[in-house]
Amino acid sequence: MRTAVIIPAFDEADALPAVLAELAAHVPDHEVVVVDDGSTDGTHRVAAAAGATCLRLPFNLGIGGALRLGFRYAATQGFDRAYQFDADGQHDASQIPALLAGLDDADMVVGSRFSDDRGYRVGRSRGLAMALLRLLVRRVTGRRFTDTSSGFRAFRRPVLEFFATEYPMEYMESVEALVLAVRSGFTVREVPVVMHDRAAGTASNRNLRLAYHFVRLLIVLLAGGRATGHTPQVAR
Amino acid sequence: MTTETHLVVAVLTVVAVAVIVRMVRRGVLKAKYTVLWLTVGLVLAVAASVPTLLDTVADRLGIWYQPTLFLMLAIGFLLLVAMHFSYELSRLEKRVRALAEELALLRGPVPDDTADGGATGDGSG
Repeated sequence: MRTAVIIPAFDEADALPAVLAELAAHVPDHEVVVVDDGSTDGTHRVAAAAGATCLRLPFNLGIGGALRLGFRYAATQGFDRAYQFDADGQHDASQIPALLAGLDDADMVVGSRFSDDRGYRVGRSRGLAMALLRLLVRRVTGRRFTDTSSGFRAFRRPVLEFFATEYPMEYMESVEALVLAVRSGFTVREVPVVMHDRAAGTASNRNLRLAYHFVRLLIVLLAGGRATGHTPQVAR
Repeated sequence: MTTETHLVVAVLTVVAVAVIVRMVRRGVLKAKYTVLWLTVGLVLAVAASVPTLLDTVADRLGIWYQPTLFLMLAIGFLLLVAMHFSYELSRLEKRVRALAEELALLRGPVPDDTADGGATGDGSG
């Protein structure tokens, strides 16, 4: 069973070494694939020096584009399963076995911060936004997910192949991707995980931008449409 | 139509057609856009050379102030053009993204240049 760790990284040269070291300690047999999303701080050198496979995008595509490339790489390189992992240290490598165990009876597993109370705290407006997303995702998919925007997710090969061309591109793509996977007939389940609190200011928390993308997401979900970035077929 | 409006339309027509023809001759417009803009030039030319046309049509549509018709048509047309451009941009963005991913895959994994005696420069190709 070959497993890939997909790490989208944009200007994460500082945070990356610790994350890669943690992965090497916990899951030495997983192939680490860092997708350098147009970084200008030498992220690719840090990744390569740490022994990770580093794919370099020529310019910043956003996390959706970086992930899609990672999925495509994993699918074409014959990996059986893969999981996303944050470059900024939000995810905890000790939780990986629990996440992957979920794949035994599902095509896709979402690591949830909230499925039982494990002490992950979010601010008030963010909590409200997340509650609204939960409600909408439940309405649209008929399934209950407690952490719709979690970026700690694992996938079996069929999902990797699907996401290699269909992964949504826009910011906050994780919610769309979840809905898309359920709608496309994949078995998706949640497992409870512990995550580190995000260090203040690291995420792109500019409120206006966030609000804009939140509204966009609501429209996409309510319209029942999907804003995927279907890949025009380039010769393989 | 008043003399002034007619004058405005005439001047606009001359300028627009001149610019379009110039761009087409220099080959800086793609064929599909050429057709679009030449049509605009043609419509403008007709409107300018048959001054009663706008008035007649405006009267038929019950528009009191005739230049309104002209502005209405112009705004409607610009709206269509803007929509068309949004469509083209979306398509282009998808293709550019796909190419960027393809490039990253073709370029292959970044080699570890600290292994063979230390890196110089920023290593970007």
